[in-house]
Amino acid sequence: MSILIDSSTRIICQGITGKQGTFHCERAMAAGTNIVGGVRNGKGGTRHLGVPVFNSVADAVGATQANATVIFVPPANAADAILEAVDAEVGLIVCVTERIPVLDIVRVKARLESSSSILVGPNSPGIAVPGVGTLGIMPQGIFKPGCVGIVSRASTLTYEAVNQTTRNGLGQSACVGVGADPVVGLSQSECLQQFLQDDETKGIILLGEVGGVSEERAADWLRDQVVKKPVVAYIAGQTVPEGRRMGHAGTIIHYGTGTAESKIRALKNAGVSVVSSPVDLGNTMADLLKHLV
Amino acid sequence: MHIFEYQAKELMRESGIPVPRGLLATTESRAVEAAGELGEGPWVVKAQVHAGGRAQGYFLNDRHVCGVVFAKTALEVGSAARSMLGSVLVTPQTAAQGEQVHSVYIESAVKTPVQLFLAMLVDGESGQIACLASARGGEEIETAVREDPHLLIKTSLGSGEPVLAQSLDFMGSQLGLNDEAKAALGQLINRLHALFIEKDLSLIEINPLGVRENGSVIALDARITADDNALYRQSRLAALGVRSEIGSVERIAAQNGFNFVRLDGDVGTFSSGAGLAMATVDALTHIGARPANFLDIPPVLEVSRVKQAFLLLLSDERVRCLFVNVFGAGIMRCDTIADGLLLAHLEKPITIPVVMRLAGTNAELAASRLERSGLPVELVPDLAAGASRIAELQSNPVESGATSGGWRRLLKSLAGSKGVGAS
Repeated sequence: MSILIDSSTRIICQGITGKQGTFHCERAMAAGTNIVGGVRNGKGGTRHLGVPVFNSVADAVGATQANATVIFVPPANAADAILEAVDAEVGLIVCVTERIPVLDIVRVKARLESSSSILVGPNSPGIAVPGVGTLGIMPQGIFKPGCVGIVSRASTLTYEAVNQTTRNGLGQSACVGVGADPVVGLSQSECLQQFLQDDETKGIILLGEVGGVSEERAADWLRDQVVKKPVVAYIAGQTVPEGRRMGHAGTIIHYGTGTAESKIRALKNAGVSVVSSPVDLGNTMADLLKHLV
Repeated sequence: MHIFEYQAKELMRESGIPVPRGLLATTESRAVEAAGELGEGPWVVKAQVHAGGRAQGYFLNDRHVCGVVFAKTALEVGSAARSMLGSVLVTPQTAAQGEQVHSVYIESAVKTPVQLFLAMLVDGESGQIACLASARGGEEIETAVREDPHLLIKTSLGSGEPVLAQSLDFMGSQLGLNDEAKAALGQLINRLHALFIEKDLSLIEINPLGVRENGSVIALDARITADDNALYRQSRLAALGVRSEIGSVERIAAQNGFNFVRLDGDVGTFSSGAGLAMATVDALTHIGARPANFLDIPPVLEVSRVKQAFLLLLSDERVRCLFVNVFGAGIMRCDTIADGLLLAHLEKPITIPVVMRLAGTNAELAASRLERSGLPVELVPDLAAGASRIAELQSNPVESGATSGGWRRLLKSLAGSKGVGAS
């Protein structure tokens, strides 16, 4: 078992013929990811990277029974691409596209409420399940099948945690980038929930950053759980000073949240081991898991 | 993207939102003239910067003047404008080095018995548009809400559909307004909401929002932030995008799309991806090293932009060593980073120690190019080793620099690099 995807997941790529889509799908397929088709309006009926291309998500789902999609569509059309996948009832939608207008995603979120699709992202590096495949832009060759679940808001920082857990031999059960935008689909809490339920995941690394309330909410959620797994967290930006602010609303909307201190305090209260330097993620997780055995 | 108060008020005026009469001035004489055109005083002279807290701020050259000055005579308007124009204003909301004032906004002073706080923004938690209001308008709003959270009224306005009448009624009642004021506030929120959506805004803040005896409302201050990601479809807002960075380094960084923050130390840092860039600064600080900056460059294919980023760091005279921490992934490849450094060196010879951690896509290729170049770059296997090495260099500085033999090897290695042709 793993989270979000497994070896039976049938994946399509929206924007497969583009530069980014081609680059990443080619690598993912070479590493064994089960990509069964692509979507690019106007190129239906052709083939790309050895899989059929369709004009719409509905056509692709009809022909391939796809149940997951990864979206590499430019920002102006990305929200429509997500909604097209929602309408076609694709269960898992991973949106890599960054720089999507936030109000577009606000509308997408409203539509997701009444659907059973899960959106990961936008502005997400995607999902990687070692031994199964990658949806998104995570680099190949740094993963190792193993027992650590990684959930992150920042993309490049994710690879840092992957690298450390690969080098110390723990490996990863799955790695999920929930996206760095202010409004995203799957939350860190929901991802933690999946990891807690997953048998292969023995420990969890949570990577957060200053701003927003995501880590505080994840901490609140964790504190109330009966099932416990070791969780190691790192909050990026502890030593970077706050830049220019515009007004008071951003500060008072969720008062007392958003800073590194508030996130670290909330996580520690929930029993999470918070490391102050990102270099300690891997070894701290190894120590915690050693004590378990 | 932030816009100035006078621009925000112009947008509001066009949307039928009441604002005081005002005129912009970039010289003292124009300020005096503007006051005359607005009619009888008193007036308010307001420094135009992309930050709030102006009334609590001060000017670097004259700490007795703040960013909002009440003037009873045209002479006082002129004197306030003279103090502000060209000066640097520091407020609780600016970065530490402040912002330079290039224009002042002169308004007829409006006094109202009631001053509210009103804001609209996207709530990341709910993924909806939220409206915040408080009966305690003014600069003390943060303290007031911290001490008594009930002073803040928060309502969701949904996902872009028209605002529900009951939400408006709820806000008005919670603020303790009478029926006239409630109706005026309701109309105002509806218009702000339409503006918010039409212009792809991420923040509207009116603090204070004046309420007169007759119940009419007027936006005494205005702050608007537009969604950078939507500027492609908001050409009018995009044209207002003036950067107001103080330092030339910040300005060049902004022009290149680099995310740059100046810090107090002497280690230049270079990274890609905001999370990893923050982690780099955190790791250095944690071990006792002192970063001179935070730098996050977007994933790029062009080696010329990477070169530009290195030149930017090298132009900082405080920087005594450089730490590069890049995880190549997606379109960002480590060899582009290496080539960028080598090109920067050709333009401005590097005489300080450079420690590089390159992992991910094409890390080996980058390492072999750097090795062949003869440039004294130290490659480290991971972030921990890099941070330790930097801390060591800081406590025990060594001289470094490329030899003439190194130069020849560098040119040769660059000739074999694809990246140079692409620049």
